[in-house]
Amino acid sequence: MLKITGIHKTFNPGTINEVHALRGVDLTIEEGSFVVVLGMNGSGKSTLLNAVAGSFRVDEGSIKLDDRDVTKWPEHRRAAMIGRVFQNPFSGTAPDMSIAENFAMAASRGKTRGLGWALSKGLMDALRDRVATLKMGLEDRLDNAIGSLSGGQRQALTLLMASWIKPSLLLLDEHTAALDPKSADQVIELSKEVIEKDGLTTLMVTHSMQQAVNLGDRIIMMHRGQIAHDFRGAEKKRLRAEDLLDCFEEIRRREQLDESAAAMLEQLYI
Amino acid sequence: MTLLLGAFTIGLILSLLAMGVYVSFRIFDVPDITTDGSITLGAAIAAVLLVNGYNPLVATAAAAVGGAVAGSVTGVLHTRFKINALLSGILVMTALYSVNLHVMGRSNIPLMQARTLTSYSEKAGQWLIGANDFNLFGWRVGAGDAAVLVTALLAAIIVGYALYLFFRTNVGTAMRATGNNPQMIRALGANVERNIILGLALSNGLVALSGALLAQYQGFADAQMGIGMVVWGLASVIIGEALVGGSSLGLTIIGTILGSVLFRLLVAIALRWGLNPNDLKLITALFVFAALVLPRVMRQMKGRPRSAA
Repeated sequence: MLKITGIHKTFNPGTINEVHALRGVDLTIEEGSFVVVLGMNGSGKSTLLNAVAGSFRVDEGSIKLDDRDVTKWPEHRRAAMIGRVFQNPFSGTAPDMSIAENFAMAASRGKTRGLGWALSKGLMDALRDRVATLKMGLEDRLDNAIGSLSGGQRQALTLLMASWIKPSLLLLDEHTAALDPKSADQVIELSKEVIEKDGLTTLMVTHSMQQAVNLGDRIIMMHRGQIAHDFRGAEKKRLRAEDLLDCFEEIRRREQLDESAAAMLEQLYI
Repeated sequence: MTLLLGAFTIGLILSLLAMGVYVSFRIFDVPDITTDGSITLGAAIAAVLLVNGYNPLVATAAAAVGGAVAGSVTGVLHTRFKINALLSGILVMTALYSVNLHVMGRSNIPLMQARTLTSYSEKAGQWLIGANDFNLFGWRVGAGDAAVLVTALLAAIIVGYALYLFFRTNVGTAMRATGNNPQMIRALGANVERNIILGLALSNGLVALSGALLAQYQGFADAQMGIGMVVWGLASVIIGEALVGGSSLGLTIIGTILGSVLFRLLVAIALRWGLNPNDLKLITALFVFAALVLPRVMRQMKGRPRSAA
């Protein structure tokens, strides 16, 4: 279970580049829930994910994961509980190392790494079986450098790596945005399968309304560093992509209205 | 023949330095100039202990530990204090110059009288062969010289193999990933900062080990002996990569050892042909420059006709 309470984050405070990226986000995600985060560019959705992962410390508020307060934990310590897939297929794997070695590191996520062999026989056997289920023919290429694979293959493997040890929370950060449509579909199918198999608590950021509608049991819409809408339960099930688009349109219109109203007031009174 | 034997021996001893540079430069992608100071530090620690009658193995091990400490200081400056990696190395190298003079107490310690790994090997060689020299394919070879060469070879093989095994353990694999993709290995729960510190400690430990052996072989430790050694190591690593081609871990380590020996041989031959020893560092630097630039030039040359087609 993830419990976020009142988190704020300002980047570059006191400079002209100051960005108030998170403005008081409260969010509780129940065990086994699959939450999709939507939002326009700059709405703070990726920042929210990074705050949970620990890429930076939040200025205010607290983050609790499985009843443990991880607010002050560094990223690598939180990694013991969090599995992660990045937007960039190059981010989640070590390109010059073999597929097997990449998985060996995933198999020791959050554990103390000692002088045991990274590529134990037990791991190799389990790995071959698991990778074979991808039907990408990679099970015979476990010794190949992972950098020689396509983006889709790398994202699929990163997903398996992130869930090799069951994480308390799975973070997917627009993990299909950099892929061609066919690979994106494959990775989405795999994500569904992995999440359902272990009932993983998941937080996924996406740009795709269709993905948001098809996946998960709850949609959160971010706007200007806050949660603007929260659809869940029956409401989420009824939701269509068009409804989400309307929602966005409404946010945009309200914003324009605010701006034009401000301009009008300015003209009248200043 | 003695010249050739000497070149082989020094090449093998410096292959430990080359492996150290391989760890920092190739695995962690940090051109770590601490090397120049830590090779002298290794020589200095070993020399002082040897002169005071310590066992050569103890003296050599102490030297490696000293180098590891120097490397971890560089690592701490770089990771904890966020100083640029190159600058951290320069700072520690500069500081080490004074440290080395303090360790030695003067700028040069001769080891001619001390019992060293070299003198032990020589004695063992003469005892095994039962004569001062023997016939090898028609050449007269000193039994002592040959024994020292074998010792150096053993040292290179043992250290190379240990390094290979280490980088295949869980912690070693995570350290390789730290250089390859820090974001990824951080997301998998590794402490990237700690790994970099460990890696630089390992690298400089190897370098200091090389320095300790070098001092025992050439019979002295000198405050100036480290100048330009990191470039020497880079040259060995680059030659090694060209020799073995592949990028697999085992091959590159073997290549680094071969590269160091080959480079030393080339230098010995060049000196024999009348190369001014004063030009040696210049030539080495030019060589590394060429080795770094040539691959890109070659790619551009290859790329041109393709883009025209």
